[in-house]
Amino acid sequence: MPESVSKTFKQRKSFAVRKDEVAGIRSKFPTKVPVIVEKYHKENQLPLLDKTKFLVPQELTMSQFATIIRNRMSLNSNQAFYLIVNNKSISSMSMTLAEVYRDDKDEDGFLYMTYASQEMFG
Amino acid sequence: MDYVDGTFTYESATVACADFPKTEEPVYILGKVYSALHDREELRHDFVSRLWLTYRRNFPAVGGTGPTGDTGWGCMLRCGQMMLAQALLVHHCGRDWRWAEDGRREDMYWKILSMFQDKKSAYYSIQQIASMGVSEGKAVGQWFGPNTVAQVLKKLAVYDDWSNLVIHVAMDNTVIENDIRGLCQEGRESESCDIMGCQNEKGAEGGPRHFDKNHKLKGKPGCWKPLLLVIPLRLGLTDINSVYIESLKRCFTFKQSVGIIGGRPNHAHWFVGSLGDKLIFLDPHTTQAATDLDDPSSSDQSYHCQYPSLMKVTELDPSIAVGFYCRNEEDFTDFCIQARKHITDAKKTPMFEMFQDRPSHYPPYEPYTGLTPSTTGFTEVRAQNDSDEEFELVG
Repeated sequence: MPESVSKTFKQRKSFAVRKDEVAGIRSKFPTKVPVIVEKYHKENQLPLLDKTKFLVPQELTMSQFATIIRNRMSLNSNQAFYLIVNNKSISSMSMTLAEVYRDDKDEDGFLYMTYASQEMFG
Repeated sequence: MDYVDGTFTYESATVACADFPKTEEPVYILGKVYSALHDREELRHDFVSRLWLTYRRNFPAVGGTGPTGDTGWGCMLRCGQMMLAQALLVHHCGRDWRWAEDGRREDMYWKILSMFQDKKSAYYSIQQIASMGVSEGKAVGQWFGPNTVAQVLKKLAVYDDWSNLVIHVAMDNTVIENDIRGLCQEGRESESCDIMGCQNEKGAEGGPRHFDKNHKLKGKPGCWKPLLLVIPLRLGLTDINSVYIESLKRCFTFKQSVGIIGGRPNHAHWFVGSLGDKLIFLDPHTTQAATDLDDPSSSDQSYHCQYPSLMKVTELDPSIAVGFYCRNEEDFTDFCIQARKHITDAKKTPMFEMFQDRPSHYPPYEPYTGLTPSTTGFTEVRAQNDSDEEFELVG
């Protein structure tokens, strides 16, 4: 696999570049939240999302956002799919992106989410 | 007592505990609370009464030509069986039913146990689950996740008219109350509903039902299909996030609890309770010889485990599914109240969410009926295409 594919967004761009990017997009779209959505590197049930960077209306709920990502990947509604914020928790589905952004945004100004299904057991 | 010792053949690094540790801390087992100091016998008897489904060898081949044993692949299937068996045991025999240990073949109990024996003809056999897994994209012998086995059991339960249990699998860590109410009330006016009403009346813990005579023409309000609610979750990426641990342990205190399926990485367990910072579980990783329960000389000893296994809750793999059995409408309403009080409203980061109504952005809810299995595939076609209008994609 080429290195550029396996590297995460954070690994591909320096902190300064990411910070500038957020500052630019926030000044242009102050009511939208810049979100990075990446596949968990061990995930092998779910497809790769065609985009990494999303500008999300801040009033959207996590539940709405999850549905949009599900639809983009054409997932069956019974397929396990979780959006994990900052590699640690599933956010409350009724929270708005503005709230999640306020609580969990990265120092660079992006909100990071990782998507994964469930682990398998034998 | 003549128990089958299931611990010494464990493949995993499970440190099996021969007995419950003597501690002041309360022990919660599937909605019951015990003192490990003062109620030891009751605690052990409750534990040993649970159905223990393990790897087996020399059973009739899955699909006629497939594997004849499930060692190395069947552990999550076994855990799904254990959780469902618990729901059926509570449904047909009541939570206070205890195993007689003397080989007695109590009707209801034996009928439930037989549904899990390793034969194709048994509703919830390893053969049925592995074969139905194909519809979930799992070839026979492939590993399952907690959601996979829940989805499969949901499909198999449709054919079990005796139990008439509906299994609802709540996706996206969201429980939608009115989807479930609709599901359990479905067919309320049909004939089968009347039969169910009678079963409910006779239910071991259900108590007498009071039908409102004014509503009789509109169908009996008391008709409510018993429910197994399964909530598959992912409480972290590689490790369980500690913010969920309290809620997770709280699940075992619910009277509706039928445990949690999950495990350590790669090794599935059925968790039945908690004790301090430990989880108590039954482990399927012991290979036993298949037993033909229809043979009058067969024994059920290998379906019960005397020894509780314990592990630290922090060692739990974050992929789990939490289960709750609700006998009737009141029971489900009580579950919703308790879940709101202890799980969703009590925490800033709840382990799952309770919604009253289905959010408008969700595709329509399509309960699985078994009659039109192909329709579920069409939901994605109707998916809203608002993402491109509302969103500006950068880069």
